[in-house]
Amino acid sequence: MSRIFVTGLGIISAVGHNVEANRHSLVNKKPGIGKATFLSTKYAAALPFGEVDISTPSLKEKLNAFEKGTTRTSLLALHALDEAIKDSKLTDEELHSPRTALVGADTVGGMCLTDELHHDANKHEQGSEYLASYDCGSATLYLRDRYQIGGIVNTINTACSSSANAIMYGARLIHHGLAERAIVGGCDSLAKFTINGFNALHILADEACRPFDENRKGLNLGEGAAFLVLEKEGLVTNDHIYAELSGYGNSNDAFHASSLSDNGEGPLLAMKEALMAAKLPAGEIDYINAHGTGTENNDEAESRAMIRLFGQVPLFSSTKAYTGHTLGAAGAIEAAYSILSLYHGEVYPGANFSKPMAATGLLPVTVYLKKELRHVMSNSFGFGGNCSSLIFSRA
Amino acid sequence: MFYIHDIACISPQKTFSEIDIEHLNCPVGGKLPAIEPAYEGIPLNILRRMGKAVRMGVGAALTIAKQNAQGIIIGTANGGMEDCIRFLNQVIDYNEGVLTPTNFVQSTANAIASQIGLLTSNRGYNCTHVHRGLAFENAVLDTAMLLSENPSHRYLLGGIDEISAYNYNIEFLDGWFKKEKVAGKSLYQANTKGTIAGEGSVMLLAGKHANGASAQLMAIRMLHADDEQYIAGELKGFMAEHVSDAGDIDLFLSGENGDARLQKYYDACEAVLYKNVPVAHFKHASGEYATVTAFALWLACQAFQKQSLPQHFLKYRRAKKDFRKILIYNNYHGMQHSFMLIAKV
Amino acid sequence: MEREALKAQLKKQIVEFLNLMQVKPEEIKDDEPLFGEGLGLDSIDSIELIVLLNREYGIDIKDPKEGRKVLVDVNTMVDYIEAHRTK
Repeated sequence: MSRIFVTGLGIISAVGHNVEANRHSLVNKKPGIGKATFLSTKYAAALPFGEVDISTPSLKEKLNAFEKGTTRTSLLALHALDEAIKDSKLTDEELHSPRTALVGADTVGGMCLTDELHHDANKHEQGSEYLASYDCGSATLYLRDRYQIGGIVNTINTACSSSANAIMYGARLIHHGLAERAIVGGCDSLAKFTINGFNALHILADEACRPFDENRKGLNLGEGAAFLVLEKEGLVTNDHIYAELSGYGNSNDAFHASSLSDNGEGPLLAMKEALMAAKLPAGEIDYINAHGTGTENNDEAESRAMIRLFGQVPLFSSTKAYTGHTLGAAGAIEAAYSILSLYHGEVYPGANFSKPMAATGLLPVTVYLKKELRHVMSNSFGFGGNCSSLIFSRA
Repeated sequence: MFYIHDIACISPQKTFSEIDIEHLNCPVGGKLPAIEPAYEGIPLNILRRMGKAVRMGVGAALTIAKQNAQGIIIGTANGGMEDCIRFLNQVIDYNEGVLTPTNFVQSTANAIASQIGLLTSNRGYNCTHVHRGLAFENAVLDTAMLLSENPSHRYLLGGIDEISAYNYNIEFLDGWFKKEKVAGKSLYQANTKGTIAGEGSVMLLAGKHANGASAQLMAIRMLHADDEQYIAGELKGFMAEHVSDAGDIDLFLSGENGDARLQKYYDACEAVLYKNVPVAHFKHASGEYATVTAFALWLACQAFQKQSLPQHFLKYRRAKKDFRKILIYNNYHGMQHSFMLIAKV
Repeated sequence: MEREALKAQLKKQIVEFLNLMQVKPEEIKDDEPLFGEGLGLDSIDSIELIVLLNREYGIDIKDPKEGRKVLVDVNTMVDYIEAHRTK
């Protein structure tokens, strides 16, 4: 089977508008959790968020994106996609080729426009300009139209693991000869809908989230987007290759609609499968970018699964303390961070951690480390038990 | 690509336990609601929380998932849309106050695949494709790739979408549903824009071995385009690649839906085929929805099994020959197109 | 409201709110555990019941630990409603 290389990256999140800015925040341990300024919700003052610090009109201006019905979710996606395409130096001819696939992921879609959606869904009056923008497919379709991408196009929604699965799907399209390259990733923007949903489940923290800490109080919602350009070995023309996507696994926890099993059966299976696909023993993993949402349930289940699989757990941390939980974008943003870790030989510190969990005693990395890394794992687990794990290796 | 071993369909017609598609249920108020069975396999304590899309998905899946699939792949454009807007209404009506989480949990598109996983203790591959009019097609392609990776496995593959009053309103405002009443075959004569809304759930067990299978999915192709001549050209290419002789197609299942704006695509594709190829349409029975090609696939399996289709499905009175190969063409909102080629086993 | 009438009303509200299709309100015993054995409710139901107390009786339970003490059976819920209701 031919190898798959990552040749382009694009990220926008609460800690930066591009790859370099994101990396700078991680290296200098500067989280982006704070008061939301553009978001309209009752909770804007009471709860911290990982908001991307640019308004929707400014994004439109910056991206010259004035098409009717364009949502913040689509704009964040466009911002990251544009960076990834330029980074990978893809030509128009390559983009329009039937051999170039686009696989997006999101969970909110145009529902960031909660009030407009409420109006359109409940009334038989004049519709808003967003009638075709609410579903999850809308962001990917917008990107496809804008770049006239010629190959297979898809959108995946497996809740919080959506974009990890988008990366996996793109890689498999290449393995099966259905594409030569795939632009893969995900996006989501902050929305009253998700804020109130997670709040109703009592898993939003009223402070900056503390992944893997004994006294963690829940997660912070964030927003953003990230895209990766995957290319088949032998067809890469770009002068730099970030990493190889060497393994992936997808498994279901089959335990509960909104929480993980106590011993993390689904996470364990997903990580195991990824190792098998990469043909690596567990001991070869040098660093794990954990799912680490900061909820009581996730962090304990994930810790137990890591202990069961690795025994001696490798270096790990959760970058959700920086970006917040960006839902459909999380898998792609964290995959991009994992790739940057490998490429630059560095481990990004977890933040807001002070006391290990009594149940597991695991200590995440809390200081920036310079370290030669060979294999990095990125975990993404979602509602509905949808667990996915990716492994990136030095190319 | 793969074989279809078992297939179940919940639709606006009698397609589930006692199949009778001679008799035609007609739309009410522009909508063709699915006939839901009693759902005997779903524990009441779980059923009570499910919205219609999840119920229909799980209900159809449980009839065939007993046979131990290694993974679950679902295509749904909207998942639990009704729950989604119900939660949204709570957000607005209670001004972001104290809200009940059940609608939120049920509204995520992956609720169908995850509930099936939960009820059948399936810890295998689990994925939900939501790419609007190509959500089911991508699920089909995903399944085909999985089976080529693991030829001894079998996977549960499904396409589900529900009509909710809310998404009906949204799509109605966007001009996708007819303002005037149409019933039965008059749908195709209206010469106005829009169509009728439908919903349904089709689940099938896919495997790599012919033994015991009823049909074989031979090829699939997805396109994003708005030029009918380009689509017709792609269909020619698809046929050249997968059918030795264009006359080999025994039935063309056309997704035409009475929307005058979209008829040109169906006409252009029909023109690619031999003149005497029988043509059938089905959206007067299923209604239109983003994953309706799953219904078309079920109908093709019926045609293979019965070697006939009720007269109301046939577009022309043409001499019927054996149904061995069926071509499905569908487009969604004029931008997302798919071809599927299915053969009798 | 009389305690017995309040119990009957609460049982009806529980059944409707949680859509307990297989349960008749009058069949719920006053001391039947709501969770685990008994009605077999789960963690999401407990959140739903806290919402019920908020919407129907104007009671605001913020601390989940407090919730666990209240949501034991119909008796404990009625005790709490009688002591804390604002509507």
